[in-house]
Amino acid sequence: MPVKATAAQVDRRVVLDLDRCIECKSCMAACFYGHGEMAGVQFVDIGPAVLPVVCRQCGDPACVEVCPAEAMTRDDRGVVARGLFSCHGCGSCVRACPFGVLSLEMTGHQVTKCDLCDDRLERGLEPRCVAVCPTKALRFATVDEVEVQGLTVLGGRIAGDHPIRRR
Amino acid sequence: MSSPEGSTTAETTAARCLLCSVGCPVRALRVGPDQYVPDYVPHAGYVGLCGRGSVLVEWLDHPDRLRQARRSGDGGRTLAVKDAARRMAEALRVAGSAVIVADGNLDVDTLAAVGRFARDVGARWTACVTPGDAGLVHGLDGSRAKLVGPEALAEADAMLLVGDVFAAQPVASHWIYAARDAHPRIPRLVIAGANTATAKFATAQFEPVLVDGAAAAALAAVRTGSAEGLPAEARGLAGWKEQLAAGQHPAIVVTAEGGYGEARALAEAVAALAAETGAMVCPLTAYGNAWGAMRVAAAEGGACPAEILKPGADVVLAIGCDLVSAYGAAVAGPLLDGAGDVIYVGPMPNRTSDRASLVIPAAFAFEAPGRALLGPDRLVEFGPLMQPPAGVPTVTEILALAGAPTGAPAGAIAGASTDVSAPCRAPEMPPSAAGRAGDGKGLVVALASDPVHFGDGSLTSRAAWPRAVRPRPVLALAESDAEAAGLTDGHVAVVEGPGGSAEVEVAIRPDQRAGQGWVTGAFAGVRDAFGWSWDGARPGEPVRMEVRKA
Repeated sequence: MPVKATAAQVDRRVVLDLDRCIECKSCMAACFYGHGEMAGVQFVDIGPAVLPVVCRQCGDPACVEVCPAEAMTRDDRGVVARGLFSCHGCGSCVRACPFGVLSLEMTGHQVTKCDLCDDRLERGLEPRCVAVCPTKALRFATVDEVEVQGLTVLGGRIAGDHPIRRR
Repeated sequence: MSSPEGSTTAETTAARCLLCSVGCPVRALRVGPDQYVPDYVPHAGYVGLCGRGSVLVEWLDHPDRLRQARRSGDGGRTLAVKDAARRMAEALRVAGSAVIVADGNLDVDTLAAVGRFARDVGARWTACVTPGDAGLVHGLDGSRAKLVGPEALAEADAMLLVGDVFAAQPVASHWIYAARDAHPRIPRLVIAGANTATAKFATAQFEPVLVDGAAAAALAAVRTGSAEGLPAEARGLAGWKEQLAAGQHPAIVVTAEGGYGEARALAEAVAALAAETGAMVCPLTAYGNAWGAMRVAAAEGGACPAEILKPGADVVLAIGCDLVSAYGAAVAGPLLDGAGDVIYVGPMPNRTSDRASLVIPAAFAFEAPGRALLGPDRLVEFGPLMQPPAGVPTVTEILALAGAPTGAPAGAIAGASTDVSAPCRAPEMPPSAAGRAGDGKGLVVALASDPVHFGDGSLTSRAAWPRAVRPRPVLALAESDAEAAGLTDGHVAVVEGPGGSAEVEVAIRPDQRAGQGWVTGAFAGVRDAFGWSWDGARPGEPVRMEVRKA
């Protein structure tokens, strides 16, 4: 019986270096055009800044738990993936996600979801959002790799010299 | 790199994005029979594409593209491009007064061909760039400042940024952050709106008041150490000249905002400060080829838009630009209404083509090889991103078709190589008579730079991503101003200016200076609301607007 994949297998994640983000939304555009005009990168307005949020590849993902169509699953890479054809677009996962990284694409009745650009990873390339980020605010890295650069990491996903304000 | 389908625009393609003067290389990847996506492989020292640049690829196979020449009347009868080009030339030649306005992002040789064609048919012509770009070029070109491209900023060890650089030219941030990586304590003064992403990068920041010459006055305060006549917080500008001068590679990065006069004064102030600090100056324009357009216009007899865009012309030819959106309905409307013939040549429909009696499809500038001048010494040759659709000619080909019947050999109009090495400071716009926003009711509202839309929005409003992420204009204003108008964050408000009203989404910015606001300028309704005219607030300049609940 195959061993079930876990979040621990996803060693590299998209990490945001908070104080390098210039809010240009290049990452969102790259994701949008690279995924059939459905962006897996969302932007949230936290008042002092508007920041990109990307799927955190949770250990115990609420989106998988609530999906009535079993469209949200953890694939064999350990990545939380959305099955394009089985997704009904009901939006349950959008409401369940505590981080607001999912959105409902109304016309296509699909939920947008980061897949870490598996088509690019297979070719040895970084996810699109990371590749286009002009300031390297988004990195495809392990927590250890980020910490080695002297940055503080919050929740495994957000990094900075000072985690809650810019330099 | 090769795609699974084996049909990218190829490694040999050196197409450039001209949606700002960074001029990023761009490639497209074919993912279906008629579908292309941007190919995000950093190359040539660049990092990829910003959101605006990504949109270029969508236009290649956009369903709205103009593909056939069409006359108004007779049910919109189509005609062959060759016949349409001849009709265009005939209309221009017989007109008592004809004007031509060409998009500034056409490549320099095509623009020069437009200039020669205008001479041949007896028309006056101008190149369309933002008024801020024109002022910036005229204020800096021929100055003694050491003008550099954004790549040189990686060496900087002291920096002054003027304007919302990160929104107007997002990829320039790549080298700016590289400088900070090399010198983590690099002093960074930002003179721009307090609510901008660029301001958050600053170690010191000053937001000029939106009145005539305020940004230039802030630069002068840096240079002289005297902040007389400026708000109290401008006292912090004193001492920055010395900080810049203390660097081994100090840099001033400037992007143009507002109208021509403001941008020109700002550019001259930058040049003066650079002369006293030894700073290199990186001028960044909204139009990638603004420098090329201004120099070609100066060399080929181009006139100032204020002379061209006035009622009285019998025939108006717009090449690739939307006059109504670019200059506002109050400026372009009377010109187009009064003309017997309006002719549009370009790749996509817009508010000008909607009013044209003859529409001729043309390729985008990036669908043919060409040259662009990204900065005074940044002449780049570029290849086509992709071939234009079948039957759609380039602008140069249309001009050649139009010129040939009257005896002007095609080669004399098209195909010549244009010298763009000479600096220019004309055709300059005469000084504004009415000043800018002046006193009165309401907020002083200026156009905000936007990393999502390009220019007047006439192109990007037809693209899927900008429509999805910025479907309506945003008005950034101070909390106290929002409270006074009974507005909260996310409310839909109405701004009412001299030219009408428009709906906007409210974004409250705690750091914003009270009494002034910034609105996304890439929306037709907003631009019309500014009511720009040649006698009052001129295109690009801030105006007073009343803000109320929708």
